[in-house]
Amino acid sequence: MARAAAANGNSKTLLNCNGLRSEDVKRSVSQCNGEKNGPRTGVASRQHRQEFFEQAPMYVAVMTYLGFGIVTLFGYFRDFLRAVGLEKCHLAQEREEQKDFVPLYQDFENFYTRNLYMRVRDNWNRPLCSLPGPVFDLMERVSDDYNWTFRFTGRTLHNVINMGSYNYLGFAENKEDFLKTVADTMQQYGVGVCSTRQEIGNLSLHEDLEKLVASFLGVESSMAFGMGFATNSMNIPALVGKGCLILSDELNHTSLILGARLSGATIRVYKHNNMHSLEKMLREAVCSGQPRTHRPWKKILIMVEGIYSMEGSVVRLPEIIALKKKYKAYLYLDEAHSIGAVGPSGRGVTEMFGVNPADVDVMMGTFTKSFGAAGGYIAGKKELVDYLRSHSHSAVYASAMSPPITEQIIRAMKCIMGKDGTTEGIKRIRQLAENTRYFRARLKEMGFIIYGNDDSPVVPILLYMPGKVVAFAREMLERNIGVVVVGFPATPITEARARFCLSAAHTRAMLDQVLHHLNELGDGLCLKFSRRKYSSRPDLCNETDFELDS
Amino acid sequence: MLCGVPSPPMNSRHGPISLRVVEFTGPREEAADEANEKKRPWMNVGVAHSEVNPNTRVMNSRGIWLTYLLLTVVLHVVLLSIPFFTVPLVWTLTNVIHNLVMYLFLHTVKGTPFETPDQGKARLLTHWEQMDYGVQFTSSRKFLTISPIVLYILASFYTKYDATHFLINTSSLLSVLLPKLPQFHGVRIFGINKY
Repeated sequence: MARAAAANGNSKTLLNCNGLRSEDVKRSVSQCNGEKNGPRTGVASRQHRQEFFEQAPMYVAVMTYLGFGIVTLFGYFRDFLRAVGLEKCHLAQEREEQKDFVPLYQDFENFYTRNLYMRVRDNWNRPLCSLPGPVFDLMERVSDDYNWTFRFTGRTLHNVINMGSYNYLGFAENKEDFLKTVADTMQQYGVGVCSTRQEIGNLSLHEDLEKLVASFLGVESSMAFGMGFATNSMNIPALVGKGCLILSDELNHTSLILGARLSGATIRVYKHNNMHSLEKMLREAVCSGQPRTHRPWKKILIMVEGIYSMEGSVVRLPEIIALKKKYKAYLYLDEAHSIGAVGPSGRGVTEMFGVNPADVDVMMGTFTKSFGAAGGYIAGKKELVDYLRSHSHSAVYASAMSPPITEQIIRAMKCIMGKDGTTEGIKRIRQLAENTRYFRARLKEMGFIIYGNDDSPVVPILLYMPGKVVAFAREMLERNIGVVVVGFPATPITEARARFCLSAAHTRAMLDQVLHHLNELGDGLCLKFSRRKYSSRPDLCNETDFELDS
Repeated sequence: MLCGVPSPPMNSRHGPISLRVVEFTGPREEAADEANEKKRPWMNVGVAHSEVNPNTRVMNSRGIWLTYLLLTVVLHVVLLSIPFFTVPLVWTLTNVIHNLVMYLFLHTVKGTPFETPDQGKARLLTHWEQMDYGVQFTSSRKFLTISPIVLYILASFYTKYDATHFLINTSSLLSVLLPKLPQFHGVRIFGINKY
């Protein structure tokens, strides 16, 4: 662990925020916690604590702001040209007679959309024309008027490597023998259920699925819903209400936030993965109670996610469980990205940390990511799930899960658990873990700044500057690799990134190809900002030496 | 203060969403729990943070103070390199242009250049008023208040306290300092720049 210790020491100095201001920027505090809190708590094994959120050198931040400044100035200039009439305006305009009325369109709110996004929007919403497995086919589209309109040339880009799908275990596949049971179920039950679970939509398939999910997770009982987003947003209002407190992580997904909002409980946000912030809030909540009346809270619910999909960081589960037991709060764990993707046998973060699943009060997850299907589940004690069956909006009003999808989940889960008699499931989990470790190690060696835990298959590479984000996405497509990039305002202004989602279906050759192109692009676009020296073989410092595993 | 939202009548069936908004933005709560409840949870689709209005955090981001100082220095150097301008004139020009641009970007332009999920709460607010959701005396606000003052002191020195330069510099400084006072938060004189 000497390397880890050295890396820890180096990153401590690098994670220092700049000395220009007296108070810490919220974002860097939440990001600096990985090293400060790790050694002190020592609850779980050290290897799960490796979360680095390295900050790029200052000149990168300055250049990012200059980039946005230049784009903004040009935006104002172009708006002026459009207003004067020198440039064609592609946007919706009001009619001449309505110009004196209250404006129909908010011009300024579309500023970034028309001056920044429109210029680069060929990198998003790319139409696929094949299964989104490890490789896919894209329809080639070009624009004659700088992305205001697109047209298809008719050509297809074949075998573009897919680094954006949440296909962690590779179940988004078309193999006939794997899908045979799904086809049979579709023949037997049809495609749609046409009813809610409470009316006539409760198939025996659903009951089988729920029993299987419960045994997979090691809990008493579970319930499955047709839509993952709706699982969160419709079930949280059934669990908490007015007079309860929700402590939600800073980077929680929209579905959790919406569910919390709909419930009517008071919501407090704590800094991402920061146990001090959470404990402070818990103490304050327990001591002061509700805001004006100071009555005790009816319930305190801590909402966290297993893997945060934009950062790739993993929740600090043992510490949260310790806190929850100390202050008698409840824990809601959303394992959308981590179920099936982490843990030695794919059981999620509870297995990864060696935590008893009974300690987590509400375990939630989705089937969209690792199982190649759609929908979500909530699992926990039998009383909880029985209560949800009759009180949750999703259960009572939303239509039931479609039979072929249910069967797909059942067969995927049986495959993971090994119940189908093959070792395919465990092979895939191991392949994913190996791919993750290899990819992350190689990226760190090359000198990119990546966020997140070493075991998380979500790998965000930080690109920072808006121009580079766009150039990166376009160049990667030229080289037949499809990536997902995100920029401001969806991320903080200095943290635009490209997010890679690894899959068990990616072969080592595909990963090597992607890494080779990343290396070239990293040099060409100057994306290798990391100042930490990382080498998996300390004696071989030659960066271009490829590690060829046999 | 910033959010003068009247409390709607309680409607138990459809109430929860709008009612919670009122509870959050009460002035007493903001003053008391500013550290904890500053962040209001909204529906941010497809974003990597739970920030309702990213504009509020821009001035706190890493490196923006440095960028701002660098740009001022670059402006000054560019002006200095014009052969016909004397040094006092250049300093006054730097001061005036800096204050003009600051006034334009911080106190004239209103709203956000992107759509926010809070249904346009900040549409009528200038960037200064949006900073940190209206909380006063944060470090970014202090920095942006002090920097025109420092520039003014330097300009006064380099113009040798000449009367004309003094008048121009002072009026320019006042134009950029007055809107920053907490008493002027949300104030629009004579209805200029109101909508």
